[in-house]
This record gives sequence, C-alpha cells and structure tokens, in this order.
Amino acid sequence: MNSAVRARLLVAIAALAVALDVRAADNARQIVEEAQKRTDAASQRYEGLLQVFDAKGKIADKRWTFERLGSHGRSKAVLRFTAPAEVKGVALLVVNHPDRASDQWMWTPAIERDRRIALQDRSTRFFGTDFSFEDLEERDVDQYDFTLLGDDAIDGAACWKVQSMPRQSKSSQYTRSIVWVRKDNYAFARVESYSKSDLVRRLNYSDIRSVQGIWTARQLEMTDARRGSRTRLTLDKLEYNVPLKDEDFTLQAIRRQ
Amino acid sequence: MKRLAALLLLGAAAAAPSALEAQTITQRGFADASLFLFAQETPNDPTREVADVLAREEIFVKPAGWLQFAAGLDLRASSHDQVDDRWRLDVADRGERRPRLALRRLSATITRGALTVDAGKQFIRWGKTDIVTPTDRFAPRDFLNVIDAEFLGVAGVRGVVQARGNTFEAVWLPRFTPSRVPLVDQRWTAVPSEAAALPLFDAGATLPDGSQAGVRWSRTADRVEFSLSLFDGFNHLPNVAVFPAPTPFGAPPALAVSRTYPSIRSYGADAALPTKLFTIKAEAAYFTSSAADTDQYVLYVVQLERQAGEWVIVGGYAGEAVTERRSSFVFAPDRGLTRAIVARASYTIGPTKSVAFEGAVRQNGDGAYARAEYSQARGQHWRTTISGAAIGGRADDFLGQYRRNSHVKASLRYSF
Repeated sequence: MNSAVRARLLVAIAALAVALDVRAADNARQIVEEAQKRTDAASQRYEGLLQVFDAKGKIADKRWTFERLGSHGRSKAVLRFTAPAEVKGVALLVVNHPDRASDQWMWTPAIERDRRIALQDRSTRFFGTDFSFEDLEERDVDQYDFTLLGDDAIDGAACWKVQSMPRQSKSSQYTRSIVWVRKDNYAFARVESYSKSDLVRRLNYSDIRSVQGIWTARQLEMTDARRGSRTRLTLDKLEYNVPLKDEDFTLQAIRRQ
Repeated sequence: MKRLAALLLLGAAAAAPSALEAQTITQRGFADASLFLFAQETPNDPTREVADVLAREEIFVKPAGWLQFAAGLDLRASSHDQVDDRWRLDVADRGERRPRLALRRLSATITRGALTVDAGKQFIRWGKTDIVTPTDRFAPRDFLNVIDAEFLGVAGVRGVVQARGNTFEAVWLPRFTPSRVPLVDQRWTAVPSEAAALPLFDAGATLPDGSQAGVRWSRTADRVEFSLSLFDGFNHLPNVAVFPAPTPFGAPPALAVSRTYPSIRSYGADAALPTKLFTIKAEAAYFTSSAADTDQYVLYVVQLERQAGEWVIVGGYAGEAVTERRSSFVFAPDRGLTRAIVARASYTIGPTKSVAFEGAVRQNGDGAYARAEYSQARGQHWRTTISGAAIGGRADDFLGQYRRNSHVKASLRYSF
C-alpha cells in the first residue's frame, strides 16, 4: 500500500471514528433525553424513609416528606424531615435551574433561621446521610455531554451504559458519572459518580414499578465509596401530578411547619 | 396579648372543622434535663450545682393551604430559683425569672400569593452572621446564663412580600419584650470584689410602652445575598443604673440595680458572598438613640464559613466603633463579644455523634471564652450532650468578669 492510499485510508478511518463517536454521543443523549421525557410530571410527592448504615450495620433512621413542582431543571422541591423527633421541621428548598446548579436553602427551626447552601458546600453530606446536597438537585439533560459506553446488565435487566460529563464542571463535585439506563423502560438502574478517576458515590435503583405510568424506583441506595457507608431511601405514598402551588416553594413557605 | 391569644384560638377552632379534609396537624417537643457544675463559687453566689428541667411542646395546625396556626408551651423547673414558682400561664414572658409555664409562641400565618403575614407571638430573626448578629433587633434572649442564651418570642405582626429575587419585610410590635438578664443574686451578675460585701437588690425595670417597627429589603441574586434594614424601637438589652439602696436606719448599706431600655434606631446591612473557598458573610448596624444616657455606635461582623467533609467551620471578627459615648453601665452581650475574634466549628463523627467547639478572644487579650461539646443520639428519641466552658480574663472585661463561671454541663433530652 503506497503512502497516499494509506493516508487516505487513515483519514477515512478517522472520519468514520468521529462520525461513530458523534452518533454514539447522539444516541447517548437521545437515551437520556428519552429517560427524562418519560419521567416528566407536573409534580411529585412522596414520604421517604432514610436508613443510614455503616460498615457494622444499621445506624439511624430518618424520615422526610418530599414535594416537587415542575420537572427536570425547571423544578422546585421542598424536603422536610419528619423524624427523628429532634430534626422535625428541618427543611431544604431546592430551586433547580435549566442552565446552572440549583439554589438551595435550609431552614432550621431550632434557631429560626434559613441558610443558603453555598455552591462550594454542596459536596458535603446532607444531614448525616450519604447523599450530598448536590445529589438532591435535579439537573436538566442540557447540562451534560453524553457518551454511550456500551451495553451492560443490572440485576438481570439489559441496560445502556452512558457516561455524562457536566458542561460546567466547576459547579459539580463530580467530573463524570456513568449512568445505567434500562432498555425495557428507560428507568435509571445505577449511577456511579466520579471525581477524576476515583469513584465517589454509587446510587442503585431498585423496586422499579410503574406509578401513574411513570417507571419509578421505589428504593434508592446511595453508597459513599470513600467512607464505606450507605443510605437507603425507600419511597412511600408516591404520587405524581398532585396539586401543588408555586407559593409553597419559597423561603417563606419552608418556615411554615 | 391575651385578647390576641383568644382570637387566634377562636380562629383555629372556626377554621378547622370547615376544612377537616385538608387539615394537617404536626407537633414537635422535648423534655430536657440539664445539670451545671461550676468550678468555683462567686462572691454573690456559693451555689456550684444547678439543675434545670424544660419541657416544650409546639403544635402546628394547617386548616387550609393558606392558613396555619402555631402554638407552643414551655414548662420549667430549676434548682436555683431561676423559675417563677407561680402556676399560671405567662403569655408575655417579660418577668425577671423564667416562668413556670410560658406561652412560647401563638401565631397565625396567612399566605396569599407572594404575601405572607404572621400575627401573634412568634420568632423573628434578621441578619446572616452567627455568633454576633447586629441587625437581629426583634430577637430578645434569655441571658440568665449568659453564654447559653435562648431566644424569646415577640408579639406582633410581620408581613413579607416575595417578588422574584426580592423580599420586602415589615414588622410591627405593639409591646416591648426585653431580654432576660442575670439575676442579681446569682453568679452571672458579676459583682466587683470591692462591692461584694454589700447586699445587692434588684430595683426592677422600667419597660417602655411604645411600639416598635422595622423594615427590611433582601435581595437574592445569582450568587450574592444582601439585605438592608431599618429598626425603630427599643434596645432589648438594658442600660443599668447602680445606686445606694434605701435601707432602714442603722442597717448596713446596700446597692440597688435598676434597668431601663432606651429607644434606639438602627440602620443595618448584611450580605453573604460565596467564593471558591469560603462563604464571606458580613453584617453591620449603626445604632443611634435619642436617650441622653445611651451610646451611639456601630457593630460589625465579618465571618468566613466553610463546610469541608464533616466539618462546619465559622470564624471571623466582631468589631465595635463608638461614635458617641454617653452611658457608663450597660448589659450588652452583643457589644461584649465585639473587638474579638470569634469562631465555631462542628464535626459530625457519624449519623448519631457530633462534637462542636466555640470560642471568642478579645483582641486586647482581656477576656476569652471557649466551649467544647460532645453530643450523641440514641435511637429515635434520646440525646445526651456533655459540654465544658472555660472563661477567663480581667474583671473589667465583659467575658473576663465571668472568669469564675467556667463549668461543665450534662444534658439528657427526650424528643417526641
């Protein structure tokens, strides 16, 4: 093979690789877009049971109520602890934005004050659980670039394995995440979040059922890879499209019990 | 206030049945027993062991989406005569001692779109900084144990309008609530050694009659938050007068202490700016007064705040600039903690355990205070807390005057 032919062949291979990569990225994005579309709801409400485990076993139970108005990057959510008794009334307001990280405020009734959670503090654990403040926000598909890594199976269910990288990496503690999306219903099965090459957290979704036509995991288990601890969140009394008012998702509203 | 309480209760009763389906009732409460052990006696107080018991219950009733009622009661006992022994419901909570049974809060909250109105006895907090909060003018506190001060509710009306990133707030209190100050015969009233031999009497307080008002505008932008506020009312911390007490002929001389609460106006500002490493919080207020015996001054605080892993760290400087000095005696813990470096750090050991550290050091080194606390929860209801506070310094310094009050405290709380 002469050099001209070889050069042309290399260019063709490179072009094909780029095209395949673009197509893979397109496919990956389409997969996540479809997953996002399928979970669109005007609102959501559930009661959550949080069970925090360390390496030795179960440590503590917490309960919260969660209400969300809107969907995917244009939503507002209020999460309010109902147990244990000493944290009753502690509330977190999350205002998600389509183009940037969320705004978050925490209301602490014991001192009758709210506090904005600064962006640089979002990587810290939320109230002794293995979820960080950032994990509680809901981001839009447009805030990430996606790459399809291939196929995999989680708990016997065929999944697409998609890598997502935040477009504004400075606003996230994670440099990349790998998302497993089930092929049968586009529900998320697992998310692994990394800081550079280190696994930081793994979120497993299970007990996936159709609730009002939306495939939803009723149990989420977050593992903190660095600490070896994990928190299981079980969703109870889950409802979509419940009547909620915009005025219940304000700083004034989270002061109310 | 009693009439207001009755009206709120009637309102709750009237609204509840009509909307029983939508009604939600929540409650929270605790019973807390604390034991203080002091290392030293003081000239006016030989008691070194003090036990307190507090039971608190708060109920929140939401008969409709736009309406909420809140009610709270405190029941107290003390081994050291810090509680008024009379069995009656103290609605105003303005006495020298803590009431046996007090109405902690009783308020109605009405929400209509962007407008929220709270009426009744409630808690109103302004400001952003933590250890000293110069703009927090509607928040009197119980300073019976100076460094363990809880907030007291105030009776009034608070209206808030939120419009996009702006919050406009107006507050009107028809009746003044003072901070509770240390009892004259107890260790948190520091008596100079030269006067220690003289009996000290409380000559009472003159509480002002007028109303208080304030307005505040807060702006929440993409990254920065700031507020401007104006307060017109009375200082909840008193000017103190010490004078010879009238004594029967031939009786040994004695001193009397009286308190007045001067009218003040304060112009305040606070801001929070997150940066890459810290959140910078700053707060300042300029206090003026028409009272001839009241200082005019500026209080300001700059603090840095950071959460890192399991640590929450707050540290900064609190300062004071007196623009016109007029008074000689005040009881002012807010000013007493200025010209000082202040810091607080807490570390979450695990889901049930935490430690916290807090300290203040006056810049001239005349006074210092440090506290460490270990807290552990057991199950869903119990929490044990053990803390130790060390106080040192010169007798003429606000912190230093309590140098004989270093103590350890053990608390057991059952929350329900």
